[in-house]
Amino acid sequence: MPGGGISRRPLHFIILADCSGGMKGEKIQALNFAIADMLPHLAAWERDQERAQVFIRAIAFATEPWWHIAEPQPVAQLGWKPLQPVPKGLTNMGPAFALVGQALASGRIERRALRPAMLLITDGLATDPPGGFEAGLSAMMAEPAGQAALRLAIAIGRDAKSAALDRFIGDPGVPVLVADSSEDIADRLVAASLAVSRMSEAGADRGAVARRLFGAPGDVPSKIFDQDTIV
Amino acid sequence: MTTDSTTDEVATWQVITGSARGATHRVNGLPNQDAVASQDGPGGVVVAIADGHGHVRHFRSAHGAALAVDVACRVASQAAAGLAADATEDEEAERAGQELARATVADWRSAVAGQLEVRPYTAEEQSILDRSADTPVVPYGSTLLVAVIAAQWLVCAQIGDGDMLAVRPDGSSFAPVAGDDRLDGRRTTSLCQPDALASFRTGAHDLRQVPLAALLLATDGYGNAQADEPWQPSVGRDLAELAACRDRHWFGQEVPGWAERCASAEGSGDDATIALLLPGDGQDSDGRDAEEGG
Repeated sequence: MPGGGISRRPLHFIILADCSGGMKGEKIQALNFAIADMLPHLAAWERDQERAQVFIRAIAFATEPWWHIAEPQPVAQLGWKPLQPVPKGLTNMGPAFALVGQALASGRIERRALRPAMLLITDGLATDPPGGFEAGLSAMMAEPAGQAALRLAIAIGRDAKSAALDRFIGDPGVPVLVADSSEDIADRLVAASLAVSRMSEAGADRGAVARRLFGAPGDVPSKIFDQDTIV
Repeated sequence: MTTDSTTDEVATWQVITGSARGATHRVNGLPNQDAVASQDGPGGVVVAIADGHGHVRHFRSAHGAALAVDVACRVASQAAAGLAADATEDEEAERAGQELARATVADWRSAVAGQLEVRPYTAEEQSILDRSADTPVVPYGSTLLVAVIAAQWLVCAQIGDGDMLAVRPDGSSFAPVAGDDRLDGRRTTSLCQPDALASFRTGAHDLRQVPLAALLLATDGYGNAQADEPWQPSVGRDLAELAACRDRHWFGQEVPGWAERCASAEGSGDDATIALLLPGDGQDSDGRDAEEGG
């Protein structure tokens, strides 16, 4: 066969993890455990389905963002290196979104890639300076892949559930997932990974799946595996 | 247009096709929604491939694709006869591509209307149409890629995603129609859109000026399976080498397998259709050869 061989279409999954000062102690431990626990679920789904090859990247953010995993890593080969909180670090989300936007810019991801997925995990309200959150979000959404992405958010604690997270998600049908305690974080991450994976199940009762995963009526977001339609 | 050399002899061309149902379509109980057809007549050779859209609102897209390749071959054969009969100039060949697009859009819409008369939407289909607030032609949505080789001319027309790759004997390659930035891998232009003609991309190339070793037409299930990015240079190089050392019978055996691999769970998982045109001696030519998804 001519060419450089074949492979499944890439699905880029970007984790945005809050490493502000408030995450110290039990929360960051629970977050690290939960992410490490989520990855095998995604790897198992990757083996079972017929379409996507999942690649993981991670951004940690506090006052400033930084790449925790800069290069896309095949999910099946990824061992999670624990995150550490930044003492007195703030929860500035806008610069993290801008970093995602740079990674998803035209020419930076494969043209044949499926719609990306993003998972934002935070325990607090955004502390961006005025306009910072919106500027970062706009930069990310200016990229077609950022606009098209499935965006999920987990709020650690009810106080972290904010309108800002809804704006990040940008879809009224997709609620913010709330982890009421550190113990809940792992469950919410598994729900998020299932939300990504279940999108491929044509013919499934998506309303029922949504209620099971999110505890809310609505449709499981189906952006990533939406079949092609017209411009 | 690059000029490599000039030749007065214009080869006869053979078409080898392969089409495979995507792995995800098998899992989800969907048919192969691609279609391919070719026609070899006194005017020249024509080939068309089409990819019916997968979204639920395009629930008759497999039919739309089948109608598209049928209509395109008929219209393109008329274009081939015209190109072969006249001492066609560059501008006339360009216009032939535009006319091919115009007539194909018009005839495809007529063909859809004709099928709807015979087979109107069921109540269930009508409810999908109503929910989507679509016009009756939208369920038949499909892409289309069509190529005509007649006399010294290659004339191409394309709407929607998929790829055409013209391969020179030295292994370099080019797209015979312009790109379209709107095709982002998730959405596509389509025969079913109201301004379909405006979204057609056409091209005409004088094969005496640009001799070709091969011409590849493929639906996006082929390109989306390729590991290389961009994949066109390596595929072009390999096709030129293969065209130089393998006979057409070998290609006839291999091309369907290429489509199968691309459509598999190790590739794009999507329907994949390939039409490969090779200059040759005509030993494998068998006239009309149509294959539709199903």
